[in-house]
Amino acid sequence: MLLDLANCLAGAPSGAAAIEWALGSGAIRSDIPVRIAVVGPAALWLDDQPVTRCTLACTVPAGVTLSIVPGAHHRFSYLAIAGGIAVPEILGSRSTYLPGALGGQHGRCLRAGDRLEAGSDVRPHPEIEITPTGRSEAAEDDVTIRVTRGPQWARFDRHAREAFFAARFTVAPASDRMGYRLNGPLIRSMETATLPSEAACVGAVQIPDGGEPIVLMPDGPTVGGYAKLAVVLQADLRRLAQCGPGRGIRFQEVSLEAARACYSLFR
Amino acid sequence: MSLPAPTVHPLGEGAWTVALGEHVDPAIHERVLALAAQVARAELPFVQEIVPAYAALSVFFDPLRADAEAIREQLTALAAEPLPTPGPAELPTARLVTVPVRYDGPDLEEVAARTGLTRAEVVRRHTSREYRVYLLGFAPGFAYLGELDPALVLPRRREPRTRVAAGSVAIAGAQTAVYPLATPGGWHLLGSTATRMFDPQRDPPALLQPGDRVRFEAIE
Repeated sequence: MLLDLANCLAGAPSGAAAIEWALGSGAIRSDIPVRIAVVGPAALWLDDQPVTRCTLACTVPAGVTLSIVPGAHHRFSYLAIAGGIAVPEILGSRSTYLPGALGGQHGRCLRAGDRLEAGSDVRPHPEIEITPTGRSEAAEDDVTIRVTRGPQWARFDRHAREAFFAARFTVAPASDRMGYRLNGPLIRSMETATLPSEAACVGAVQIPDGGEPIVLMPDGPTVGGYAKLAVVLQADLRRLAQCGPGRGIRFQEVSLEAARACYSLFR
Repeated sequence: MSLPAPTVHPLGEGAWTVALGEHVDPAIHERVLALAAQVARAELPFVQEIVPAYAALSVFFDPLRADAEAIREQLTALAAEPLPTPGPAELPTARLVTVPVRYDGPDLEEVAARTGLTRAEVVRRHTSREYRVYLLGFAPGFAYLGELDPALVLPRRREPRTRVAAGSVAIAGAQTAVYPLATPGGWHLLGSTATRMFDPQRDPPALLQPGDRVRFEAIE
């Protein structure tokens, strides 16, 4: 959603490649004047001038350095440029899949010194004034994530289920686009938690034998052999994705009907 | 042999998982593949992907447009029907694929030592059977193959490697596989193959499909 917004504001087609800016800070400079948009909870500078708005869409003059410092409690911002970033489409996507070294800039993270080429498909961009709403979640608040019951719900007794929903978890530092590991009380299934591998999905909450939940994220395995106690609502995935290391998480159960209703709203 | 009654479980708002058993068993897997073929033939509206695994079948659909409860009812009905006992030959993609392997992997010596076999005997046992593709997963093009010769069954390495080279031929538990891409991995590496297991330019990109049969052939 932030990616789509960034592409739209920059004047890039939907599905164009942009830069997903995660936890580290950095800077980018263009040889030519270029329209860009940055969407997400990051602080921005143009050369040494701070930019006060959380969303920036403007034409950066040639040679001016844009610096990005991500917010301390969030994870991802998106930097789009007019025409998108010219990288080949692989299997219907221009995104980078790090575990498979596929897509994007040679299948890897960007490095200092990389040169990116702008795509030629420049779209008209909306002329809009962006004003902060001031309604953003306070950075220190816990995030409540809604889930439905997972396929192995029955392998967990009442005690384990209650512990899961009563717990405050924190996002572990060892979390990435493959999965978010959660620190907190250990959740135990009644029998061994491993089963013959079967399909998993983005948002599946896996409980390994050790009892520390792992939420599968978009680059995660497509199958898994751990019991899936719950599945995060698609509508809440991006809120979970934005949780940086140490952020507090609580889970709340909703019915499948409610989950589907949320899905149609969020689409 | 009688199999447990199938049960249908939600996998998020956009998928159902039909559990057909709890064990790795060729009979259960045949049933999974047969059900996958039946579901594909039924052409349920807005179904996006059908994923057969060892003992479960998952069906992904568009939660905005599909009638999720109708799909659940159809899956329950199809899973309850007695099987028309299809052999692997009737399954749509059952092919025999031969994978040439240079058996010079970094763990061959250790596997030989831990199983009490010679290196040549490890290779002979690994190449002397035909394996079934049970499922694809973990990483693009990664096919889980079974069953391994019982004499070669070892638990996974205690410390998984942070990087296993693409094309590595490996064993773990009763399974064997080829790593399609350079990824972390905890399996024992017996050798390597030049066969490309995953090629984004190919359609389908994954060389192996569930139900295929695989043989390894030792080369110098």
